[in-house]
Amino acid sequence: MSESSIRTMQNRDMGRVTSKQRVAKAIGMGGTYLFLCLMALIVLFPFYWMLISSVKSLAEYRLSKPTFWPQVLLFSNYAEAFTTASLGRLFLNTAYVGIVSTILSLFITIITAFAFARLEFKGKELLFAGLLATMMIPGELFTITNYITVSTFGWTNTFTALIVPFLVSVFYIYLLRQNFLQIPNELYLAAKVDGTSDWKYLWKVMVPLALPTLISITILKMMGAWNSYIWPRLVANDEAHRLVTNGLRNAFKDTTGEVNYPVQMAAVALVSAPLFLVFIFLRKYIMAGVSRSGIKG
Amino acid sequence: MVESKQQWKAWIYLAPAIALLLVFTVWPIINTVRMAFLEDYSIALASGGEASFRFGVGNFVKVAEYQDFVTCLKNTVLLCVITVPISTLLALLVAVALNNIKPLRKTLQTIFFLPYVTNSIAIGMVFAAMFNIVGSLGTRRPLIQTVGIVNNVIEFFGGSYVNWINNGSGYWANMFVLIIYIVWNALPFKILILLGGLQSVNKQYYEAAKVDSTPRWRVLWRITVPLLSPMIAYVVITGFIGGFKEYTSIVGIFGESLGPAHAPGRLNTMVGFIYDALAQHHQGRASAAALILFGIILLVTLVNLQVSKKRVHY
Amino acid sequence: MKIVLQNLTKIFPSRNKKSDEEVIAVNNFNFEIPDGKLIGLLGPSGCGKSTTLYMISGLQKPTSGKIFFGDDDVTELSTENRGIGLVFQNYALYPHMTVKQNILFPLQNLKGADKMTKEQMLERAYQAAKLVQIDQLLDRKPSELSGGQQQRVAIARALVKMPRVLLLDEPLSNLDARLRLQTREEIRRIQQETKITTVFVTHDQEEAMSISDMIVVMKTGVVQQIGKPQDVYDDPANLFVAKFLGTPPINVFEGRVQDGMLYIGEDAVLPIKGVENQPVTVGIRPEGFIVDENGSLKCKPVNVEVMGRDVSVVSTHGASLNPFVRSIVDADNRIDVGSGVVRYAIKPHKIFIFSKKTEERIYFEVK
Repeated sequence: MSESSIRTMQNRDMGRVTSKQRVAKAIGMGGTYLFLCLMALIVLFPFYWMLISSVKSLAEYRLSKPTFWPQVLLFSNYAEAFTTASLGRLFLNTAYVGIVSTILSLFITIITAFAFARLEFKGKELLFAGLLATMMIPGELFTITNYITVSTFGWTNTFTALIVPFLVSVFYIYLLRQNFLQIPNELYLAAKVDGTSDWKYLWKVMVPLALPTLISITILKMMGAWNSYIWPRLVANDEAHRLVTNGLRNAFKDTTGEVNYPVQMAAVALVSAPLFLVFIFLRKYIMAGVSRSGIKG
Repeated sequence: MVESKQQWKAWIYLAPAIALLLVFTVWPIINTVRMAFLEDYSIALASGGEASFRFGVGNFVKVAEYQDFVTCLKNTVLLCVITVPISTLLALLVAVALNNIKPLRKTLQTIFFLPYVTNSIAIGMVFAAMFNIVGSLGTRRPLIQTVGIVNNVIEFFGGSYVNWINNGSGYWANMFVLIIYIVWNALPFKILILLGGLQSVNKQYYEAAKVDSTPRWRVLWRITVPLLSPMIAYVVITGFIGGFKEYTSIVGIFGESLGPAHAPGRLNTMVGFIYDALAQHHQGRASAAALILFGIILLVTLVNLQVSKKRVHY
Repeated sequence: MKIVLQNLTKIFPSRNKKSDEEVIAVNNFNFEIPDGKLIGLLGPSGCGKSTTLYMISGLQKPTSGKIFFGDDDVTELSTENRGIGLVFQNYALYPHMTVKQNILFPLQNLKGADKMTKEQMLERAYQAAKLVQIDQLLDRKPSELSGGQQQRVAIARALVKMPRVLLLDEPLSNLDARLRLQTREEIRRIQQETKITTVFVTHDQEEAMSISDMIVVMKTGVVQQIGKPQDVYDDPANLFVAKFLGTPPINVFEGRVQDGMLYIGEDAVLPIKGVENQPVTVGIRPEGFIVDENGSLKCKPVNVEVMGRDVSVVSTHGASLNPFVRSIVDADNRIDVGSGVVRYAIKPHKIFIFSKKTEERIYFEVK
């Protein structure tokens, strides 16, 4: 370690180095922000386009030079969208399916997760491992047989077909079980000493403590119902039972030039609005649920 | 005494879930495998009294012979192989960028998460509207009213408009739109996971890298990415699994014709193939196709896991 | 490469919007660190020593003041361009790289005239590894090494680019007692071989005193005293420094100066001149006691601890500010605990008096 080599690190033009460093930092920060803003614009653009298209008149929409702010605000598009796509009926159907399936599913998830987390029984490990194994199989495998089963039971075109097959989600059971396991066992033992029954303990202690996870599950499940397409289309596609996604797509069958695009966009906006509202207010729960569970609702 | 009471109680708690799972999860697995191997199986024929189905791979052969099958397979693989790397890379860059800034981070995070909370088909329709050309094409003299906002941008920069998804559009034009849409949809989840991973990396490694005079790109490549590799692997694996199941995005953009007016079904995927077979009441064939899909996913996942064993540092 | 710290100040704004309390972590630090010396920054936790170290490294920017490396003002210079080596308290070894890759890493970042060929880099890395005696472990990953080994890798990584300054943040605090002794000698040896200006941070006064060329004692951001360890020990500037250095710690008493005589309680301990009458705090080093049957300081012995060559006499005194008074005297002294009293004479250069108000040292002459 010679003196001279240490000197080489000294002999630099301090001024140049400092100003070069400042420039580099500015470019770095500037570039980062530019990139992020560009990406953000790309992400936001479809929403923006949807909203402004939805209030344009059809004639304005068809202008060869597009306008970035509508000349006339045609809110009647929304009313028209509502009737064309029978959104009222669709919203009701979907809400009904969503709420019922979420409540029932929550109930089943809670008691099942509780059994795996706190109760002792033979074969617990094996059963749980088996459950986890089923998570790896793609849903399409089940759909085929379930369709047959549902038809055999005579449930085609009923709400039952839409609700029952999906009441058990192994994923949510796993998630809730993890959460339950984090609640200290001492609480359980203390409750037992106090003579509390398991049932009471579950509903009075564990459920409140696991509330964030339960909220996340609720939201994700409702979102799932709102966005479901394949299964409802398969089993319950008549007027009375059609769900929102299916109805939306089919209300505006593509025939060139004859679709009233602004109205279609208005319909899309209406359908997206509830999700958007939920996102604004409950964003924390959704993002926490997704990152912990790692799946799409 | 307590032991056996607990056992019995536990089974009561488990009863609803197990009953439902048996009917809607376990039975389907068994049945799908069964149907796949029963040649020419269909419910209609079965209930019609024809009880003699041979066990064999006939269904699989039929599936492979279908022209549609090759198309679907090709589409599925292409979409997967193209979108997963692109969306992962973009998500990584966005996550790293977000991690480096403080002001505006929360806002930008919210913006980037928006595509996740949308209805796949609904926003697909918006994308279709953006790329759509209003007018009538496919005739000798196309009557165009507006070329759509995306084409407008292209023309603004001096290019000529492209027929993206309308009557007469090309395969790759269609694919382009699909790829953009799928990547747009895939970003939020990936960004969320990668950003979470980044924030859990010990800041001291970055300080050490500063002391070591490491240039920024090298910090990203030699420190951030290796430390983030478990998350990246997770995102890639789930990306591939999801990618193989693409279907609703295509319906969102093209509607149920799954292609432009002059070439319906052009963009169909494996999942679509399965549902088509189902709709035609060829349950045996559908089951076979489903098993093939499952096999592919399993294979790809195993390959991914092998690769991550070598590349991922825990 | 000397390091000059000029009016260096670091203020952390208050995190709580309600209170206006900001934390002055480092307050007007002035010091010129001579080239090639080993300097210890010493003080209790929260005294600003680590903050100072991080400001020298560039990872923290000072609120005001300047830092010079040699004649170059590096205050605005980013860490990447300062050419320093830093050994983190938790080593911060890149966990996914081998020891060899960790050490090579800084070399691969050198640019321009400093750029080296692969062979040169390997040679340099090997030299650094040999210097810290880990050349046998080059292909292991950090998770496969013990704490002491990891630390040596961290030192090698810091040294391999031959920095003009080497900084160490509490280098010994994560090691077990046995390793600590060994490693601090290593640090001393390495510093003397490489002659790199080295600053290290510690809260252990024994550590700092044993290997530093100079020590800087800090308390709540303010420098208390700077000097050679023996000098600071023998000549503390204030009560804090006197109490902080020395094992066993200094004995502290209530006292007063009255008409040319220093009193501890009722005992007239030392005739002094040049000090006004006032109440004072008196400090006596454990080695400053001489057992003398005519000694002026009368204590009540409680226990005699055998140390072999010396004995440590534990006693009480009415004016003592500590629960016990501890003296270290030659083992030839025979102390009778049962007698109820032990009398000491005091070595004049081992007794210090401090103002009761300001705790600053009051200098006196012996009459």
